[in-house]
Amino acid sequence: MSGGPYRFVFDPELAAFQLAPDHPFKPVRYELARTLLLAAGALEPAEVVPPRPVTDEDLLTVHDERYVAVVKAASSPSRPADAQLQRHGLATADNPAFPRMHELVRGVVAATVTAVELVASGEALRAASLAGGLHHALRDRASGFCVYNDLAVAIRRAVDRHGLRVAYVDVDAHHGDGVQWLFYDEPRVLTVSVHESGRYLFPGTGFTYETGNGDGRGSAVNVPLEPFTDDDSFLECFDAVVPRALRRFAPDLIVVQAGADMHHRDPLADLALTLHGMRGAYERLVSLAEELTGGRMVLTGGGGYDAYRTVPRAWALAWAALAGRALPHEVPAAWRAEWGERLGVALPETFADDPPEPSPRAAAIASRNRSVADRLMKQLEEIWDEAPAA
Amino acid sequence: MLVSDVMTRKVVAIGPDTPIRDVQALMEQRNVRHFPILEGRAEPDKPDALVGIVSDRDVRLVGADHPKAPPGVRAGDPVSSLMVRDVLTAHPGDPIEETAKTMRMRKIGAMPVMEDGRLVGIVTATDLLDALVTMSGVHQAASRIEVEVANRPGALAELLGLIADRRVNVVSVMTTRGDDETISFVLRVATADARGLARHLKGAGVNVTWPPDKRTEP
Repeated sequence: MSGGPYRFVFDPELAAFQLAPDHPFKPVRYELARTLLLAAGALEPAEVVPPRPVTDEDLLTVHDERYVAVVKAASSPSRPADAQLQRHGLATADNPAFPRMHELVRGVVAATVTAVELVASGEALRAASLAGGLHHALRDRASGFCVYNDLAVAIRRAVDRHGLRVAYVDVDAHHGDGVQWLFYDEPRVLTVSVHESGRYLFPGTGFTYETGNGDGRGSAVNVPLEPFTDDDSFLECFDAVVPRALRRFAPDLIVVQAGADMHHRDPLADLALTLHGMRGAYERLVSLAEELTGGRMVLTGGGGYDAYRTVPRAWALAWAALAGRALPHEVPAAWRAEWGERLGVALPETFADDPPEPSPRAAAIASRNRSVADRLMKQLEEIWDEAPAA
Repeated sequence: MLVSDVMTRKVVAIGPDTPIRDVQALMEQRNVRHFPILEGRAEPDKPDALVGIVSDRDVRLVGADHPKAPPGVRAGDPVSSLMVRDVLTAHPGDPIEETAKTMRMRKIGAMPVMEDGRLVGIVTATDLLDALVTMSGVHQAASRIEVEVANRPGALAELLGLIADRRVNVVSVMTTRGDDETISFVLRVATADARGLARHLKGAGVNVTWPPDKRTEP
């Protein structure tokens, strides 16, 4: 492994586009995370590699042929009528059609497929694709800012071409619905999603009773949490469910969707974590990879809408955990100055952040989350006992 | 939504001479809690007549030490000695809210569905719960928003117009409560940015009760 065991898949074009002016999903986050890590000395220039291209055929391993044709048409100057696009979730507030959409989002798929290929082939031990993590995209529909499901294409390839058992762990504040539904019948892929309950937050799914179907029964795991869940309760539920599910499944590869919107400052979701709790989740996942997969892990980004102040630091912490690097206490001043000016915001001075005001309901929230996790594990143990692991 | 949209069409019926103990076994085997009871008529070209219905509760009470246990009925007796003869039925064209109301008022868990004198299905409380799930639109990726609008013509149309302006699709609309002044709606909307939509609605004077404001909003 020349250049060490870790890879950061990046191309400037991944960070350069915008879905629409003022759209909450901001690709500049990847560039912010990359430059922050370089400035902090936690990422070596030699570790940054470009994505290897994928073809439309690769998209068809999880997407419907007609859908891909519609996305391509919507990306061209002679785009079809809105009514036709809206049947596939496009030309909407969440997923506006924009020029070169097909090509640019296929580039996101390429980045995550590259990360998985690097790890599956043994060229790298762990790899990150922060532009990836488009977990809401469905077989024939764009949803929740996601057009193509890079995670599903990459996981499909790890299973079909490399014969790997893949554990997908999604810690985005939103349920990882697209990935779950695309592998709902697949026993070689475990999907685990820890998120704010669908009773309160998009996409409205991810309840404990969603446990997989047919041969895949018992291979979908959902931990729906209360709004305003804090670090301690989040990690308590994570510890109650995730290690047990992963150990029982015995994966060859762990794919982590590290959406950074469970942070208390996130404007879209309602969880109340701090960077401290998020770092706890990242470090636990790396430990589980060390224990179960010989260390093999792929990390993607995802949500995260406090795009300038929170997300770059969160993903820097995730990469630091992945590569076993220490970050300084202070955010490098040069990085703060440069981006603060370009973005017109005051960027935080340290990698730690002030906890939110504790919720007066914290104990009640923790108690309810604990009860959800307990009942989930009872239910899963019953299903797992019926069908012993393959 | 009509009864024909939610009813179970593959209904299992039994004859009035079926022994009660067999009924119990059949219920367990088929995993159902109600059997309509059909009897052939003298005229061979006419459909079998619905003569009764029996529930798992009726069957369980046979021989039990319970004030509601049917007196003198034994497990070996025919189900006709136990069945309810005055059967409340539904029609495939009935609106489901009417069926739900009847089932609640008469405290029953199922109604055979009859069309032109023929048994065509059965509708149960479970079917109505499934209908509620379908009506709430939870099968499609969406956010939930709660709003209170004035109880006057056009108020809902204006709200939906404001949502359409944002190019957001409405997946379902349900009324939760209302009075003379206002009505509350729960809408499921196909956007991940429910708070952005809520800001837009509030800016136009709509009272949004979920999602709440966030102090850390940019």
